[in-house]
Amino acid sequence: MKLKAIICLVAIGILSGCTTVSDAGYYWGNYSNTYYNYTKDPSDKTLAAHIAELQNIVAKSDEMELKVPPGLYAELGYISERQGEPSKSASYYQKEMELYPESKTFLERLTSAGKENN
Amino acid sequence: MRYFSRLAGLAFVLVLAGCTGPTQTKGESFPSMYGETSPTTILVLPAINETTAADAGDLLNVTVAMPFANHGYYVIPVPIVADIFRREGIVEGEQIKNLPPTIYKQHFGADAVLFLTVEEWDTNYAILSANVTVGMEYVLVSTTSGEVLWSYEERVVMDTSGSSGNILADVIATAISTAMADYVPIAIQVHQNAVVAMPFGTMHPMHDQDAEMKTVKVLKRDAALEQ
Repeated sequence: MKLKAIICLVAIGILSGCTTVSDAGYYWGNYSNTYYNYTKDPSDKTLAAHIAELQNIVAKSDEMELKVPPGLYAELGYISERQGEPSKSASYYQKEMELYPESKTFLERLTSAGKENN
Repeated sequence: MRYFSRLAGLAFVLVLAGCTGPTQTKGESFPSMYGETSPTTILVLPAINETTAADAGDLLNVTVAMPFANHGYYVIPVPIVADIFRREGIVEGEQIKNLPPTIYKQHFGADAVLFLTVEEWDTNYAILSANVTVGMEYVLVSTTSGEVLWSYEERVVMDTSGSSGNILADVIATAISTAMADYVPIAIQVHQNAVVAMPFGTMHPMHDQDAEMKTVKVLKRDAALEQ
């Protein structure tokens, strides 16, 4: 059963131009690299590259009909919030909670703490 | 599939070594990772870096979410968590080592908290080869009971040099690649080795089905792995 799923994913990967999908069924793109670059050298340029990669992962996951990896929407929400776009942020957080109800406690605490600070 | 071939490889090494490492199943080693006590949400604390490589802690934190998420856990978004800690003036795990784990349930909604310790990070250079020796310890603690749910310790030698078959090019490539120090894939590989010994999480289709899988009880091991 699992083997079948893997073969399927590999086939999808080949069809969509050799993108790699983990055996949990997530596509992570170049996530670790762009995040690392941003951590090491926080600048508008490295942040823009990381946001672009996050959006690319969302787009590719949709294309391949995969679940967007856990934390991705939450991270986009957090970045939007820091960039002063609260409604965009709220909709990303909402997406994370719909996809991963496990994130609910954390995100609710995060957003209510944010409101107290403002 | 990858897991099985690695386990098979490991089993083979053990056979060759005369079965010295007493093995237990995952279920015997980590009973609380199954059933009701099994954690779903994991909070990764800033790594405790015991080495002189200033970058090692960040590197391992940045790369930790993917392998653990792939193994079936909800890793509370590391960039957000790191930012929250940073704003509290906490950038090093050492600073919060002694806080009671229960506070992470309260403040982050985490079922378990993962302590990462970088014990060793030694880069070695030779003319045609380069490698890094990484010593890591992972301890996953329940935020409800405070008990250790899972732990793992490893010391691996990772090859960091690329070989093209052209000696002159290799000399240059070795010098460049170690200078540029692209250790991201290595850090990911180190985490991937660790999760092999971890029971699958609640979001993985194999959850609660790997209790009979053998794991190496003696957690310290040396392995020369190619990148």
